[in-house]
This record gives sequence, C-alpha cells and structure tokens, in this order.
Amino acid sequence: MKDLKITRRVFLGGLGASAIVVTAPVLASVVNADTGIQQVTKAGQFFTANELTVLVDVAEIMIPRTDTPGATDVHVMPVLDAMMLTWAGDSTKSQFKALVQQIEQLAKNSFEQEYIQLDQASRNLLISELDKRAFANTKTDLSENYREFKELVFHIYYTSEEANPDYKVIPGGYRGDITKLELIEINKRGYL
Amino acid sequence: MKQSEFDVIVVGSGITGGWAAKEFCEKGFNTLVIERGRNVEHRGPEYTDMLAPWQIENRDLIPESFSEEGRYPHILGKGYLRNSTKQFFTDEKEHPISYPEDKPFMWVRGYQLGGRSLTWGRQVLRWSKKDFESNAKDGHGVPWPIGYDDLAPWYDYVESFIGVSANKDGLDAVPDGVFQKPWEMSAPEKHIASNLAKHYDDRRLIVGRAANLTEPTQEQLELGRGPCQARSYCKKGCSFGGYFSSLSATLPAAKRTGKLTLVTDSIVATVDYDEQSGKASGVTVIDAHTKEKRSYKARVVFLCASALGSIQILLNSKSKSFPNGIANSSGTVGRYIMDHYTGVIADGEVPGFEDKYNYGRRPIATYIPNYRHEQHPGTDFIRGYGYQATATQRKNTGTTAKRVGIGAEVKAQARQPAPWRFLALMYGEMLPYYDNVASLHPTKTDQWGIPLLHIDATIKENERKQIRQATKDIKEMLEIGGCTDINLRVVPETEHIKIGDRIHEMGGACMGDDPNTSVLNKWAQAHDVQNLFVTDGACMSSCATQNPSLTYMAITARSANYAAKLLESGEL
Ligand SMILES: Cc1cc2nc3c(=O)[nH]c(=O)nc-3n(C[C@H](O)[C@H](O)[C@H](O)COP(=O)(O)OP(=O)(O)OC[C@H]3O[C@@H](n4cnc5c(N)ncnc54)[C@H](O)[C@@H]3O)c2cc1C
Repeated sequence: MKDLKITRRVFLGGLGASAIVVTAPVLASVVNADTGIQQVTKAGQFFTANELTVLVDVAEIMIPRTDTPGATDVHVMPVLDAMMLTWAGDSTKSQFKALVQQIEQLAKNSFEQEYIQLDQASRNLLISELDKRAFANTKTDLSENYREFKELVFHIYYTSEEANPDYKVIPGGYRGDITKLELIEINKRGYL
Repeated sequence: MKQSEFDVIVVGSGITGGWAAKEFCEKGFNTLVIERGRNVEHRGPEYTDMLAPWQIENRDLIPESFSEEGRYPHILGKGYLRNSTKQFFTDEKEHPISYPEDKPFMWVRGYQLGGRSLTWGRQVLRWSKKDFESNAKDGHGVPWPIGYDDLAPWYDYVESFIGVSANKDGLDAVPDGVFQKPWEMSAPEKHIASNLAKHYDDRRLIVGRAANLTEPTQEQLELGRGPCQARSYCKKGCSFGGYFSSLSATLPAAKRTGKLTLVTDSIVATVDYDEQSGKASGVTVIDAHTKEKRSYKARVVFLCASALGSIQILLNSKSKSFPNGIANSSGTVGRYIMDHYTGVIADGEVPGFEDKYNYGRRPIATYIPNYRHEQHPGTDFIRGYGYQATATQRKNTGTTAKRVGIGAEVKAQARQPAPWRFLALMYGEMLPYYDNVASLHPTKTDQWGIPLLHIDATIKENERKQIRQATKDIKEMLEIGGCTDINLRVVPETEHIKIGDRIHEMGGACMGDDPNTSVLNKWAQAHDVQNLFVTDGACMSSCATQNPSLTYMAITARSANYAAKLLESGEL
C-alpha cells in the first residue's frame, strides 16, 4: 500500500476554486482492468459521467459487495442521480458537485494522480481517511459535503430491496416474542 | 348567492364529522357534509400503502426544497411527515396561524376529505369517571356537565363500529370496552409489564388499544374493511380498510343510505344566525378555488371542523346578537385551550432478550395509564400523566452514516441485531386555563379573507411540577421494569413547550351547565343557539391524559342521537 500523503491542509481548506474539466462520454461503460474502477460513460440526469464514475466508486468503497450486495449492485448512484432532480435542494446539488472536485483534488494532493487512476488500495485508503477526518473535524466544507453524501448513500442502500431481503410489505400479523429460529421459519414461509 | 336546504349541515369530514354524517344519514336525515379540503378517494391514487420502501419516491425523504422554501415550518422533521404521507398534512405556510413570538403554537392539520382520520395514531382509550370529575373536584375550568356513565353506552356503540383491538385490563383509569383480539406485547414489553405489576399497586403497562381490526365484524366486512395486516403504514392510507378512518368507515356508511350530500373544497366561513328565529339558519362557505361565496341552509348545524377550526368559525360568525361570535354570550369561546404535553422522554435497554425477535409491525404502542388522579404524599401538583411507550421492534444495529466507519466490517456490523430498547413519552394533563386563549387576529387574514387564529397558550407551574415528578417516576419504572442504560430527555424548566405538538388540541367551546361560564350544554349544544352543536375537541372541558378522539366520537354520536330526536319531534 502506498504511503498516505494526505495532509491536514488538504482537509482543512483551499479546495474550493479548482475546477474539473469534464470530458464528454464517448465510450461504453468499461471496467478499468488496472484500477478496477467502473468508468461510467454516459451522463446521468444530474451528474456527469465523470462525476458518476467517482461517486459510484466512493459509494462502493463505503458499502462494498461482500456476501451481500454492494452499493453498485443496488444502484445507489442511479437512484441518487434521479433524486438530485426530485429531492435535492440547491445547496445539496452544489455540495455533491463540489465533493467530486474535492475528492479529485485530494487524490492529486495525496497521490499526485487523478482519482480514477489510483489503484483500489489507494482509493480505499483515501476514502477511509476522508471518512475519519470528516467526523473528527466536522466544520470544513469537505467534511460537510462528505457526510451528507454518505448519509444519502447509506439511506438509499438500506432502503433498497436487496438490502432488506426479509422485509415484508404485507406481514399479515405481528409476533413479538419469537426466537431466531421461529423468525427464520416465518421468513422462509413468507407468512405467519 | 345560490342556496340549498338540508336537514343537517355537518362542517368537516374528519373523525367527528364522519360520525355525525353517519348518524344523521342512518336516521334518515338529508345531510350535507362540507369539507374545506379536496376530495380523497379511499384506495385512490393518494394512498401510498401498496408501495414497498424502495418504490417510494425519493426513498421517502421529503424534498429539500420544502425547507428552503419554508414549507411546513412546524412539522418538517417530524416522523409522521414523510414523502409518502405529506399529501395528508396541511402546509402551515399556505395556511398560517398567529401566536406570540415567545410562545409558538402548533396546529397540525389535515385539510382533506377524511381530515386527520387518515393520519391519526389510532390509540383509543376511554376516559375514566375521575377524568370527568376533575374540574369540579379541584375547581379548574368549567365542571363537566356529563360523567362517564353518560358516555359509557356511546363508547360501546362507537367501539363496536370502529373496531378496537385491545386487552381487557380491568383498570379504572382506562375502562374496558367492546374489544377485538388485542395485539401481542413483545417479550421485553411483557417483562416490563410483569415487573411493574409485581412492584406497584397503581401502575400498569398495557398493550395499546388500536382502532385497527383484528377480528372484523360482519358490519365492518360489509363496509369493505378487512383485518389489519400489521404493516404500520397507516398514515399512507390503508387499502385494506384495516384502520378506522372516515374514508374507510363512516362516510361509506353514510353514503349507502342515499341521504348524504358531500361538498369539498368549500371553506365554511361563518355559521349564519337568523335574528328572528334565534337559530342558526345555515352556513356560508367560500369556494377554495374561485373564492366565490355561497350559503347552505339547514335545520341543524354540527360543527366538526376540529377544535380550533370550529372555534375559528364560531368567532368569525358575527351578528347583531353575537358581535363577538355566535354562541359567545359567555365570552368563553376560544378560552381554555388545552393539549397534552410531553415533558420527559425516557428510553432504556432491556437486557436478557437476546434470543427474542419480532415479526411484522404492530400498529400500536404500549401504554402506562395515569396513576396520579389523587395527590400522593410528597407531591404538590394536581392531576397526572400517563406514558405512551413501546418496544415493538427489535432493530438491527443499523447504518452508521452518522458515525465514522465505512467498508465491509461496518456493513456486516449493521446487520447485527441490536439489543431491545424501550421508549416512554410522558403525556401530561394540562389544566384548563382561562387565559390560554384562541382569538381572531385583528388584522391578519388568510387567502380567503378569513381572520387568522391567534393562539396564546402555554403550560404553567402545575405542569412543570408534573414534569419533575414524571421524570423521577419514569426513571424508577424503567429501573424496576428491568431496563439498563437509561436515558432521560427532560424539557428544561424555562423552555416553552409548543402546545399542539401532541395533536390533541382541545377546549375553546367547553361544555358546562352554566351558560354564563360555558358555551355548550351537556349535549354539546350551544346554550345560546339551540340548533347549533359543536362536537369536536372544542367541547372538551378538560383534557385528561388519554388520547381523546374516542371520546369525541362518543360525544358526537350521543349528540347526534339527541339532535335527531329534537328534529323528529319538530323542536328543531
Ligand atoms: C399524527 C397524528 C397522530 C394522532 N394520534 C392520535 C391517537 O393515537 N389517538 C387519538 O385519539 N387522536 C390522535 N390524533 C388526533 C386525531 O387525529 C384528532 O383528535 C381527530 O382527528 C379530531 O377529529 P376532528 O373531526 O375533530 O378533526 P379532524 O379529523 O382534523 O377533521 C376536521 C375536518 O374539518 C375540516 N375543516 C376544518 N375547518 C373547516 C372549515 N372552515 N370548513 C370546512 N371544513 C373544515 C378539515 O379539513 C378536516 O377535514 C392524532 C393526530 C395526528 C395528526
């Protein structure tokens, strides 16, 4: 794993002005074999393809595929992209756009590379470190943007069908005093 | 002006208006129900109860633009206001009220067909003998002109129709009634209940009494209602008709008689008074869209526009005989505004139930009824409080979005079952204070030109004392119940508690025997105007500690029965 060169300065400020050049998507969606990053090639309803590439990756680092589906499997970012038009207010819209730029800048400052060029281990490290700092030092723009984004990623993930395999829209009844085995049986049956 | 004539006009189609409509229609009277809000179809497109959480727009988050635009200033952030329920709550920005700057008041409304019967919590508890005696006993407010025995048969009648799933607990504080099968308590709730029963003579934890069907009667089935499916989606509307609402129960019952006329989008501005007959001649409405005025005439007017809605209409109905509002010769219309209030919230872990789980979502909480009707040694306040409490669901440790941590480990952790926790909210009895008052704002009006209600109400020293004691009590009860890691959130002594926050607003046209000190007699009939009745929360002379809607319904049914007799005999 590479040394982490993320400095305090990087997290505390000075990220506001740097702009990201957005290139038009020309390729179909591809997974980069070296970095493992899923390069999104089509703009969403709100986010550009590049923004989606970064945010899809960050969401997957937050909630990776394990024995259960990850953020990508449950389409967290396409859902969030749509919600940017139906749910997000002006400030969230600019916060999430800014977050992409800030993450890009962090990658450059820490690794002297574009975020999407980083290997998986570096990206994991960068986002884990960002997560820690975002809660240790809550007042910066970056911290606020990140925490708000994290909340949405978690909310969308944990309200997804895949994350709630036993959720019953119509349970049909209530039991409040059952063992785990009984619960498993009921869930398997699908009714009381 | 167009005019139409009816036997009875019912203003409002919520819990009480639905009842008045059903009663009069079933007795054969041509009944006009006037609703200020829009039409809502039962099982229509506004119901969102058949959507899974992942199918709800914005994953059930309220659009952020609401906060940016200052919409729903008081209830934004409340658990009941979700993307899937917001259509059933009134935006206070569009429908403002007025209050002193230092005493904000909340008026949670549902301006639509069915009113708040669509979104209510369905906890239905009878009031006790002592609750009706309290004003006379300690001299606060206006003595009730009725007692428990007057209402008991009407409680039976209402419960039989609406369907109440509850346990017969044998407690004087919340008398038993006509019940369907109760909901089960969870393992930790049973444990706490049993510990409390062992330790105290006077304190019990009981399962809530829900206006949700568990064993529908033939009558309920015929109205298209079926058993509750334990989804706890009630505030989204219920396509099963599993819970009682005007749309699932009373209005269909009224409609099938052929006697019901329903107009929506029509705001009753005034009850019109005929100086010659000394009676109400009908009402004048303002069309919600065109703002055009029209009048309707009837032999009897029932105000069921909710406590504050009816007060606003009464105060706005000025005439030569009633320059300060119809039926207001006593000057007490708008006085004695009450609500329950929560001064302390407690929660604690219930250890020892690691192998216990729940299935389904029980649609009701548990309840600790008031055990302080009498003063106990060492206390210096009057009346008491109960607690709405719950440990229905065993949660997972859940997401960690608000804490540090991401990745596989955090994800695995989030799926672990969390310890059971028990939560209890104090519901205190607020005394009826003469100077807690709703009046018409002298200059500000709404978009229809109706003066805004200005509500100036606050709790006082008696309630502060209740909070202090309730905090000690609930801590002790949680300890005795077997809880650990107890948290107490107590409202600071100097913090204003928003009246209306518990959505049990009452008073303003209290019942009493004396026309000089009260607005309504024992039939909720205006002392001053014999064909005018107010049977919603405005008529309540005290607020007790129990959720009040069951009592409003019983009063409404009783009054409608009485008014029907007067109509039949030609007295009205
Ligand atoms: C989230 C929530 C939880 C609750 N939980 C409980 C509970 O567990 N138990 C309980 O007992 N109570 C509960 N309540 C309170 C309960 O909903 C009310 O007590 C009950 O609905 C009052 O009945 P009502 O008929 O007086 O008023 P509403 O049901 O509010 O109906 C009044 C109707 O009148 C209409 N109206 C108002 N003004 C006018 C006008 N000028 N012209 C024409 N129409 C008008 C309104 O649009 C509305 O449709 C809860 C309420 C809410 C919102």
